[in-house]
Amino acid sequence: MEPRVIRFRLNGEWVRLSVMPNELLINVLREKLHLTGTKYWCGIGECGGCTVLLDGEPVLSCLTLAVDVDGRKVTTIEGLATGEDDLTPLQRAFIEEGAIQCGFCTPGFILTAQALLRENPNPTEEEIREYVRGNLCRCTGYVSIIRAVKRAASEAVKSRRPGPAAGAASG
Amino acid sequence: MNRFNTHIIPVAFEYHEPRTIREALELLARWGEDAKILAGGTDLLVQMKMRRVEPKCLINIKGIPELDYIREGPTGVRIGAATRLRRLERSGAIKRLFPALHRAIRWMASVQVRNMATIGGNLCNASPAADTAPPLIVYGARVKLASVSGERTLPVEDFFTGPGQTAMRPGEMLTEIWIPRQPEVTGSAFIKVARTAMDLAKVNVAVALTLKGWSAFNVRIALGSVAPTPMRAREAEAALEGRPPTEDLLRRVGEIASEEIRPITDVRSTAEYRREVTKVIVADALREALGMVRVGGVA
Amino acid sequence: MSAEGRFRFVGVRVGRKDGVLKATGRATYAYDVWLPGMLHGRILKSPYAHAEVRVDATEAERMGAVVLTPRDVPDVLFNPRLVSVEEDTFKDWRVLTDHPRYVGEPVAAVAAASEEAAQRALEAVRLEPVRVYRPLLDPFEATRPGSPAIHERVMRGGAWVDVEDNVACTLEYSEGDVDRALSEADVVIERRFHTNRRYHLQPEPKVAVSRPDPDGGVTVWTTTQTVHNTKILISQVFGIPQSKVRVKKVFLGGGFGSSIHTNLVTLVAVALSRKARRPVRMALTREEDMMHDHVSFEMHMRIRAGAKRNGRLSGAEFENVMDIGAHQIQPYPLLGTALGWFVSLYKWGAIRYFGRAVYTNKVPSCALRGYGNPQVTWAVETVVDELAEELEMDPVEFRLKNYVGKGDLFWGQGPTVKSIIRSDGVPELMRRGAELIGWRNRPRPGEQTGRYRRGIGVARGFHTSGAGGPLSGSVIDYSGAFLKVNEDGSVDYVTALQDHGGGTLDAHAKIIAEELCIPLEKVNVVWSDSSTTVYDVCTHASRGVYVGGEAARRAAREVKRKILEYAVRILNVAVGPEALRMRYDEELKDAVIYVEGSDAQTTLSEVARTAWQRNWGSISASVSFRATAAPPSFTAYFVEVEVDTETGRVRPVRVVAGADIGTVINPELAEGQVQGGFVMGWGWAVLEDTPYNPETGALENMGFITDYKVPTAGDIPPIEDFRVIFADTYEPTGPFGAKGIGEAASNPVAAAVANAIYDAIGIRFYELPITPERILRALRERERQGRESAQERGGGLS
Repeated sequence: MEPRVIRFRLNGEWVRLSVMPNELLINVLREKLHLTGTKYWCGIGECGGCTVLLDGEPVLSCLTLAVDVDGRKVTTIEGLATGEDDLTPLQRAFIEEGAIQCGFCTPGFILTAQALLRENPNPTEEEIREYVRGNLCRCTGYVSIIRAVKRAASEAVKSRRPGPAAGAASG
Repeated sequence: MNRFNTHIIPVAFEYHEPRTIREALELLARWGEDAKILAGGTDLLVQMKMRRVEPKCLINIKGIPELDYIREGPTGVRIGAATRLRRLERSGAIKRLFPALHRAIRWMASVQVRNMATIGGNLCNASPAADTAPPLIVYGARVKLASVSGERTLPVEDFFTGPGQTAMRPGEMLTEIWIPRQPEVTGSAFIKVARTAMDLAKVNVAVALTLKGWSAFNVRIALGSVAPTPMRAREAEAALEGRPPTEDLLRRVGEIASEEIRPITDVRSTAEYRREVTKVIVADALREALGMVRVGGVA
Repeated sequence: MSAEGRFRFVGVRVGRKDGVLKATGRATYAYDVWLPGMLHGRILKSPYAHAEVRVDATEAERMGAVVLTPRDVPDVLFNPRLVSVEEDTFKDWRVLTDHPRYVGEPVAAVAAASEEAAQRALEAVRLEPVRVYRPLLDPFEATRPGSPAIHERVMRGGAWVDVEDNVACTLEYSEGDVDRALSEADVVIERRFHTNRRYHLQPEPKVAVSRPDPDGGVTVWTTTQTVHNTKILISQVFGIPQSKVRVKKVFLGGGFGSSIHTNLVTLVAVALSRKARRPVRMALTREEDMMHDHVSFEMHMRIRAGAKRNGRLSGAEFENVMDIGAHQIQPYPLLGTALGWFVSLYKWGAIRYFGRAVYTNKVPSCALRGYGNPQVTWAVETVVDELAEELEMDPVEFRLKNYVGKGDLFWGQGPTVKSIIRSDGVPELMRRGAELIGWRNRPRPGEQTGRYRRGIGVARGFHTSGAGGPLSGSVIDYSGAFLKVNEDGSVDYVTALQDHGGGTLDAHAKIIAEELCIPLEKVNVVWSDSSTTVYDVCTHASRGVYVGGEAARRAAREVKRKILEYAVRILNVAVGPEALRMRYDEELKDAVIYVEGSDAQTTLSEVARTAWQRNWGSISASVSFRATAAPPSFTAYFVEVEVDTETGRVRPVRVVAGADIGTVINPELAEGQVQGGFVMGWGWAVLEDTPYNPETGALENMGFITDYKVPTAGDIPPIEDFRVIFADTYEPTGPFGAKGIGEAASNPVAAAVANAIYDAIGIRFYELPITPERILRALRERERQGRESAQERGGGLS
C-alpha cells in the first residue's frame, strides 16, 4: 500500500495532501484538516451524521475513500458559514425553529437539506421527509427540522419573488 | 469482534483506478480472488470495516466512463454497471418504462447512499434483500459479464447463487444491465416491508403482468429476503397465468407464493411473519400492477 | 404556562445561544478533542458472556503499543454512578477485569500512535479462557439454584456483602392491608409485563481524552452528564486528589442517561494515559458503544390492582424484577424510584411492593430517559385503561378521579424523597387533549372491520424535577452557580451543569437576564471545568431548569443585591438599596436602576464601570443550592394510530401531546423536548430492542445499528397533526414558576400507543416492543380462536 497525493477543492479552496488508499474521507477531514464539524455516528452508512457534499451532492464521508475525491469538490459544514454574520438561510432557520438540540446531527442535516433545496427549491413536507430520512436525530423528533427546511424554502421563494431571474442560490 | 472497527478500514490493499474496462479486466485477471471491485463502496467498505472481506487489491471502477450510462434503445434500456442509483432514480426512462424498479430504488436506503451506490454493486453484493433484484427479475433483465477472455450474458434471475454469492467466475466483472421493453398493457409494481422508512427489506416483492382482454399473461412475481437468493414464485405465477385476475384468485396467488418461499427467522423478522406478509404484499402488488394497466394502459 | 407578557426574557422565542456554533460545525464535542502527541486507544472486549480469562500482551508490547491488562489497573471496586449516599452505593466494577461477565466487557486496552496501529496491536493481544461459564440471559433463570454465580460478593459502601442467587439488591414496601383491599374490591385485574432492553443510541459514541499533567493529576475531556462526579470517581479509583483532576465541560452529543455515570471508557483512558505518560484518546465505535455500559433496565413486572364500582382504586400489588445485566449502575435507588413512579401516578389505596434487581450476563443497564419511569408507566397505564373498561368508565374520567395531583403527598423519587404537589395541570391537559383529538368520537375497541383500523389511546405520566425534598434522604441532589459582572455590565455565568441539548443553559441565561433586567446577549455562559465550578450532581432527573435554574436565579439575586448597594453610592441619595428598583430599558439595552417617584437613576453598565474605575471591587456571587421539593411535571398524550391488520404495521396518525411544565421558559425548545420525547417513545413502543444470542450471550446485532432501528423523519405523523400543548400552571417553588420536562416528555408514550392499538384492534399487548410480528401473530391467533369457537357453536347446533 503506497501513499498517494490527492488534490481537491475543499470549501472553495484547493488542498493537496498525501493519503493512504485505505484512509477515509471523514478521518482526513477531521484529523488531518481539523474540520470536526463532520460527525462520526455509526461508520456504516446508517445515520447520515458524516454527510458532506461531493460535487454538490450529499454523500457519506465514512464510506468514501479519500483517494476517491481527488480532483473533486468537497463541501463540509464549515464551508457554509464562519459565524453569525454569514449564516445561510437554512442555518438561520434551524436555529430559529429550535431544530437544533444536542447538535450532533445538525451538520449532516443542514448539508443534506441544502442539497434538497438546490434540487427542489420548494419541496413539500413529504419530499422533505423522503430526502432527509437517512439523517437520524435522537433529540428533536424531526418536527422542528422539517419546519426549518420549509421555512428556509419559503423565505428563499419570497426573496426571489421581486427579482425575475434570481434563481435558486445555494450550494 | 475485536477486529471490527468502523472508524477506519483496518485493511491494507493495493489500490487501482483503471480508466477503461479493459484495464480493469486485466487487473482482475492478474489479482484473481484477491481483488475486489470498488464501485459505490456502501457495501464493500462496510464489509471491510467488519472484516468480512479483506481484499489485497481494490479496483475502483468509478472512473471508467464506459460503465456509467443509461441508454434507451428500441428493444430496451442498457445501464452501465457503475451507474449510480440516484441517476437511475432521476431518469425519466426508468420511471416511465420500469416503474417497479424506480420505486425500489427510490425507497432504498438514503439519498446519500443512492448518490454513491451503483446498480451493479447492488447486484454483485448479492444480498437476499437487494431491492433492485426483484424488479429486474420480473422485467426479464440480463446482466453482461466480461473478462479478459470475453463476454457472456445471463438473466438476472440466474445471477444469484446464495447469500453474497453470484454466478460470476473469477476474473469476471459485471459491466451492463439490459432491461427489455415490456409489452403494451403491462403493469408492474414493487412493495417493500421494513422496520422504518430507511431499512433493508423484511420482505420485498416485484410483479409484472400483461393484460389481454380480461386475463393476465406473462405473470412474473419475484421476492426478496425470503430465501437465500431473490427468487421467482413460479407456482404463484402459473396460478394466475392466462386467467382473469379476480380478487379471490389474487389472494390465492399470494398464498401460493407464501408456500413457495423459504424464509428464515433472523434479527430483522421471523419466518412466520415473512410467510404471512408475503401473502398480503404479493396480492397487493398484483392489484397495484393491474390498477396501473387499467388506468395508464402501459408499463 | 405561557410566560408571554408576564416576563421580558423568560418565555421568549429566541434562537438558542449555542445555535451558531452548532449550525456551523464549530461546537467542540469530546469526540472532537485532539491534542498534540496524543496516542489512540482501543479496548479488548470480552467475547465471552462469562469467563475467567488470561491475557497475553507480549506481542502487542513488542509492536510498541502501550498495553494495559487487569493487573495494571488499581484494585478498586466502584459504582460508576455516584448518586446515592456512600452507604447505599453497591460496587462491583473494575476498570479492566480478567473475569468478564458480559460480551463486550473491557479486559485489556492498548494505545499506539494511530488508531490503525492500535487496532493491529489490539489484534495481537491474546485472550485465553481459563474457565467459561454458561451465560445467564434471563433473570428468572439466573436466580434458580445451581446457576453460576455472576458475582460472589460485592461491596456496599465500605463493606463486603455476599450475593445470593444472583440477586443484586431488593426492596420491599407496603402500606395498608392490600389483601383485604383487593378482596373487597369490585374489580380486580392482574397482568404481567415485560419490557424491551433499549439502547440509548445517543448521537455521540462514548469517548474520553485524558492528558496526564506534570503535577501528577489529569485533565479529561469526555462524554459526561456530570463533570464533578466524573472528577470524584477518577479521584477515588486512581487515588489522585480531586484538586488535580480537571474534567472539562464540552458539548455532549446527546445523553438520555448514557453518561449519567462515568463511562468505563473514561477510566480506561485515564489509566492508559498515566501508563503512557502521554495524552490518550479512547473513542468507541458505534458497535462498541452498544455493548459498552449502557442500555435501559429491562423489567418484568406484575401488577394486581382493584377498584370499587364508584370508580375509586382500592389496592394494588406491584412486583418488579429488573434484569440489570452484569454490573450495577445504581439499580438500588431505582428499586425505590420504580415504586415512586408507581405510587405517584395514582392513589392506589393500600399498596404492597416487591422489587428485586437481578444480575445477568448482559450489557449493564443504566438510566435511559426516565430511569424506569416509561417502563412502570406503560404497565400502570395499561392496567388503569383496563380497569376503566371493566368499570365501564371513560378512561379519561377514571384517571382524573384517581390520579395523584395538587395537594397530594408526592414521592416520585422513592420513599425517601417526599413533598406536597403545588402545581397541577393534569385536568386541563386531559380535557383539552381529549377535545383536540376527538376523544368522544373515538372508535370502540374491536368494533371496526376492514383492513386498516384506527384507534385513539390516552396515557398520562409525570417525572420529577430533580430529586430534592425537605429531608436529605439517600440521594445527593444539589447544584451551584457562579455569576460575575464584567466591567461593562455584561455578566459571565459559570456552571458545571451540562446541557445535553434540551436548552437548560438557555433557560438559565433567560432566568439571569430576567432577574438582572439585562438583554440575553449580555449573559455569557462560560464553558468551564470541574475545578472552576461549584458542585452540581448531574444533569439527570429532569432537574436542569428547576434545580440548576434556581441556583442561577439565586446567584443573580445575590449579584443584584450588590449592584443596588453600589448604585446607592452612585446615586448619592439618602436611601438604602431596598428603595431602589431595576427595570429593563429597551433603548439602552441595559438595566436601569432608579428611585420610584424621583429622577435619580443609573444603569448597570455605569455601576460596573464605576466599581472598576473607583476600585470598589468586582460584583460576583457563588451559590450552592439544594431544592426542598422535586415537583412533578405532568404529561398527557393522546395518540391516534392506524393498524394494517394484514401486515401488522402501525402508523402514527395524529398526536396531541400535553405537558405541564409550569412556566415555559424556552417555548420552541420545550416543544422540541415534547416532540423528541414522543418520537423516542414511539421507537420504544414499536421498534427498539437488543436481543441476545442464547448460545453465545452476544448481542444478536453485534452492536451494528443496521439492526437497531430508530424512527426516521419518514416515520413520524404529519407535522400539522402533531400538536403540543402546555398547561397554564405556575410552580411556586420553581424559578419563575418553572418545572422540568426531559423525561416526562417520553414517559407515557408507550402506554398511549399500546392503548391506541388496543382501541384499533381490540388486543392488548404486554410485551414491548409491539412489533408488526407480534401484532400479526395476535390477530391470527384471535381469528383461529374465533373459528374454533364458531366450530364449537356449529357443532352444538347440529
